[in-house]
Order: sequence, then structure tokens, then C-alpha cells
Amino acid sequence: MGELAVAVSGVTKRYGDFVAVDALSLAVPRGVVYGVLGPNGAGKTTTLRMINDILAPDAGEIRLFGALAPGREAGRRIGYLPEERGLYPKMRVVELLAFFARLRHVPRRDALIRADRWLDRLELSAWRKHAVQDLSKGMQQKVQFAAALIHEPELLILDEPWSGLDPINADVLRDIVLEQRAAGRTILFSTHQMAQAEQICDEVCIIARGKKVLDGPLDQLRRAAAADRLVALELATPADLAAVEAGPLADPALVTAVRPRRGHVEVELASDAAAGTLLARLVALGVGVRRFELVVPTLHQIFVDRVGAEVAAGREGAPDA
Amino acid sequence: MPDWLVIASRELRERVRSKWFIAVTLLGPLLLAAVLVLPVYLGVKSAEQRATVDVVDQSGQLLPALVEAAREAGGHLDLVAVDAGTPQDELLRRIRDKERSGFLTLPADVLMGGAAVYRGDNATNLKFAASLGQLLNRAAVTARGRAVGLDAAVVTRLVRPRLTVAAVHDNGTGQASSATAAFVVGYAVMFLLYMAIVFYGAAVMRSVVAEKTGRVVELVLSAVSPRALMLGKVLGVGGVGLLQLTTWAVAALVLFHFRGAVLGAFGIAGADAISVPLGAGDALVVLAYFALGFFFYAALFAAAGAMVASEQEAQQVQLPLVLLLVIPVLCMQLVTNDPRGGAAEVLTLVPFSSPILMPMRWLLGGATTLELLLSLAILVLSLLAALALAGRIYRVGILSYGKRPSLRELARWLRR
Repeated sequence: MGELAVAVSGVTKRYGDFVAVDALSLAVPRGVVYGVLGPNGAGKTTTLRMINDILAPDAGEIRLFGALAPGREAGRRIGYLPEERGLYPKMRVVELLAFFARLRHVPRRDALIRADRWLDRLELSAWRKHAVQDLSKGMQQKVQFAAALIHEPELLILDEPWSGLDPINADVLRDIVLEQRAAGRTILFSTHQMAQAEQICDEVCIIARGKKVLDGPLDQLRRAAAADRLVALELATPADLAAVEAGPLADPALVTAVRPRRGHVEVELASDAAAGTLLARLVALGVGVRRFELVVPTLHQIFVDRVGAEVAAGREGAPDA
Repeated sequence: MPDWLVIASRELRERVRSKWFIAVTLLGPLLLAAVLVLPVYLGVKSAEQRATVDVVDQSGQLLPALVEAAREAGGHLDLVAVDAGTPQDELLRRIRDKERSGFLTLPADVLMGGAAVYRGDNATNLKFAASLGQLLNRAAVTARGRAVGLDAAVVTRLVRPRLTVAAVHDNGTGQASSATAAFVVGYAVMFLLYMAIVFYGAAVMRSVVAEKTGRVVELVLSAVSPRALMLGKVLGVGGVGLLQLTTWAVAALVLFHFRGAVLGAFGIAGADAISVPLGAGDALVVLAYFALGFFFYAALFAAAGAMVASEQEAQQVQLPLVLLLVIPVLCMQLVTNDPRGGAAEVLTLVPFSSPILMPMRWLLGGATTLELLLSLAILVLSLLAALALAGRIYRVGILSYGKRPSLRELARWLRR
């Protein structure tokens, strides 16, 4: 693994008696899309704010791009899309973007050129001289993306980026993220939507109640979680299914659970059973097998397994601070 | 370019470009011109107004002397003798039909102090009432003189020439100025400073609250420190205020320089003689106190804005600050009555009131240069303390969206 874009080690943040982030460590390699996943109140936003130097950790250490502490110098190389979105409603769009560029130390002339380039790319050029408040909500969201990217940051931090986006802008954002990764930049984002994360992440870190549950490259996690114990099974006729359910699937030495799914059943094998044994039994029974497939669990399943269904559903009372 | 300058220049540009700013800045000098010209103009016009008045002389002694006095005074007043038996209804009808402005009733004992009564549609014109009183008194002296057998020429020498008092403001320096002019300028400067500090201080607070409620503050804070954000905001808004005040000051000086021509255009002569005791050094004192006073209060307003989560709550927390600003205005008379007294001295040293009262005291000549420097030094130190204090409150408060902090929580913010 090369140099890390973000290294968080043993970081703790408290609000009064409430521990928002508890001795959290995570490592984001350069050039990957990294997802911080967790239910509401898990401490995601607090973690991202500490990386952005908006909050200071009570304990632990954060290093950016190798050796930099969070602050002005590192901040110039970071683009941020906060969960709480907002722009100056009365400013002209092009000047707003130039302002955010200049806050990240882009010279004034370049700032305007870049602002126009982004407006062109997001098909907002006709609106460049309009006040932000004249734009539709969807257009304002695009301007918000541009405000995070105007200074061409090496590291893009997105906090719950898909919340509140319409499907078109969700696609725009996904294209931006993939393009940034293709350009060798690092993207760190948080979400509680596992389906979104699954489509886009290279690596993830799952946190709950401020603590890390597990982390690593997504495909490794899924393979490790699967351990070849889940089988999707589809049979030719209902009669075949009935025969199988009465036969091999009822054998506790072989199968621990059977879950009906749309058009098939999901079979969980006993820990010391092999998928081949089940297949051999089915063939011996002479039923028509349409599909017999080892299932890799979804991120959502891993999450529920590891964090617990109740927490995963976000029923914890803690505020997302 | 440092962060605070980027923030400040945004604040300045956005504000200066707004239609409101342009309108107020341009209308200011017009208003000033109106304030300068109108009273003089109206005063001259009303003095020239002719009035015809019936006189019912029940004493039978005063009327001839009164007519004489009115003629000598310039003849703006036509007096018509009316028979003492004329019914009041008839006199009132003449007022209704605009034949007369009103009627003056002189009682039988008028020379012994009996009150004359004037009823008319122009009785609210204070100048008219005052000149009527003067005429009556002059006529009374003449009538009394004749009653004791004095010659008319002797009586004339007794009442002529009329004497007046010119009040000249002087603190023993020998640099005299018109007392009225000194008071008016001092009062105007005090009021202007009060308005400017309240207006622009509240503008800083509103700007802080708007950034919070508009949720843009988090993005800004990911790029700059809260301290730079607060400083930039205060300096940006303050720059707008200074720009506006300077525009007005220049307009006022230009207008004052050409006051003769301006007033002359309205047919008023002799305005060049009006002198106002305000030099370039005095203007510098006024601007210095505006700048320091504004930054002192603006820092406190910014901290107040950071503590709240909505415009409504902001209205509540700004109340103590506005009160602190109102108190000096209420204490104004302590300074004008005795610019060199102890109360004036204390009020112009305390940083909460010195920005508003010291320029006035200085213009009235009540403060020595040493006192001015001491007051400025205290204000500068207080400003630094306020910036440090407000910076701490701002840093913690700006990201809190919950309920307003209690005093105890506030103390904890300060210790962090």
C-alpha cells in the first residue's frame, strides 16, 4: 500500500458526556473511493469534520497526505461537500464559485476561468450572472458540487452526498466521483445508504456508535463474509421444491436456514457442510435444478450481520452530530 | 491574499453593489441638503408672510402705539381697528372667510398686565406669536411713556435700539464659535455615530446569522479559521460603513463650502456668515471613533449572532447590546450641559459610551488632548479584548444549531 491520503489513529471526540467518536482509526489509501458507512448518529459527520479541521479531536491524531495535520495547508488540497448544504443566495453564481476558489488560494484570474469551466461542464453557463437564489434546487446542487471541486482538490470529502439529490443529479455526482478517481484523486465519503456505497466504493469502513466495526477493500470483505455458505437455489417445478424441502433442506447437519426469495430460495449451509454435498444430494434426488449459485452477500447483509438489525435500521436515539 | 481579506472583500462587494446601499448613499447628501436649506428657507418665507389682524382694543390706550410699532417693524402685519362692541361671531366669520388671519383682543387692564388674547388660524406659527408679543411690549412701553407725559422722541430713545444676546461658545481658549452651531454639530455627530454603529453592528450580526441559517458556514469553515471569518466579516461590513460615512462627510463639506450659492439659489442671502466649528482634525476624531467604536461593538454583535440559530433569536440577544448603545444617547445632556464635568469625563472614558459621546465632547471643546488620547487608548485595548472574547464564542457557537446557550455554557465556551 502506498502513501495514505488520510490516516486517522485513535481519534476520540466527546460532546459533554456523549462520546460521538470513540478511539477510531482508519486508513484511506490514495486514489481510492472510500466509504465510511454507518447508521445515523454513528459519528460519520463528526469524523469528516475533524479531518476538515472544523472540529478538533479530544484525543488521537489525524494525518493528511502523509505528514500534514488538518488545517489551512492541507485544506487547500481538500474539497468538501458538507451534509448541511448551503450557498450565499444573493451572490452571482460565477462569483460565488470564484469566491470559494479564492478561499482555497486559487489566484483571482484563475478562479474566474475555472468557475466558467465548471459552469460550462454542468450546463449552467446561461446562469453565470444570475443570483444563486434564482436557480432551481437541482441547479443549486450542481453549483454546490462545483464549489467543492473548483480548486481541483487531491482529496474529495463528501458527507452523505446522495441525500436530497434527484436521480439526474445523483448520476451527475456519480460520474464526477468516477472521473475524479480515474484522474488519480482520492474520494472519501459517508453514507448510510448501503446500495449506493456498494456501487461505487473500493474500500469501506463500517462504524457504529462511534466505533469501527470492520474495514477493508469491499470485495475482500464480501468474500470473507460469504465463506461459501450461502446458496441461491431455483428448481424447475413447485413439486421439485416440495421434494427438496422435505429432503436435503430439512437435514440440520447440512442446512441451518432456508429463506424464500423472489423466484428462488436462499439456503444457508451448516458451518461444516460443503456446497458440493448439497448439489450431490439434489442430483441424487433427480429434481430439475435451474440455478445453483454461491451467493456473495450484499453490503447491507454484512452490515446487518455485524452491527445488528436494530442499529442498522437507525433506531438508535443518538443525534448525528 | 490572506483569508480575512478574501472574506472582507466579498462582504464589501456584495453590500456596495446592492440597490439599497446605492440608494441610501446617494439620498444621504440630498437629505443633508434638505436639512441645511429647508429650515432657513421656510423661516425666511414665513417671516415674509403678510397677515391682516383685527384688533379689539377694550383699553382704548394701546392701539395707536401698536399700529406704529407694526409699521416700524417692516409692515408685514396689517392691523385693523375694530369697534369694541363687534360680536365675536362676526370676527370669527372673517377668519372663516379668510378676510383676516385672526383677531387680537386687548383687555381694559392690558397696560396693568392683563393678558391680551390672539385667536387666529396662524396662532401655531411660533415666530408670528413671538413677534406679536414683541410688538405688544414695545407698544406698551410707548403708551406708558406717553401716559406719564414723556415726549415721543424721548420714548423712542428709551426703546431704541433693541438689544440682543449673541451666545458664543468658548472654553477659555479664545477660539469662539456660535453656541448653537457647536451644539447642533456635536449633536448631529453623536446621533450619526449612534445610528451608524447600531445599523452596521446589527448588519454584522445578521450576516453571521444568515450564514448559519443558510448552512453555508460549514463549507466556509472547511477553508478558513473561524477567527479569520469573523475578522473578515467585521472588517468588510465596517468598510462599507466607513465608505458610506466618508461619502456623506465629503458631500457635507462640499455643500457647506458652497452654502452661500446653494442658499442663494433659494433666494436666501447672507448664509456665508454661518460658521460651523468643524475642521479636518475634528473630522479625523469622528472617523477614528466610528471605526474603533464600530469594531468594538461589531465583534460583540458577531459573537451574539454566533450564539443563536435563527433571526428571531438574534433579535433577543442583540437587545443588551442596543441598550448599551442607547444609554450614552440618554446621557447626552450630561456632556452638553457641562462638557468639562466629571460625568462627561467618565462617560467619554468608558469604552461602551466613549465612541458616541467623546466626539461630541471634543467638538464642544470639553476634552483636553491628553483625555482624548487616554480615551482612545482605553477603546483600543477594549477592542482587542472584545475581539479575543468574541472570537472564542464565535468559534464554538458558529457550528451549534441547537438551543441558545445559557450563561454557564457560555462561560464553558470561553474557557475552551
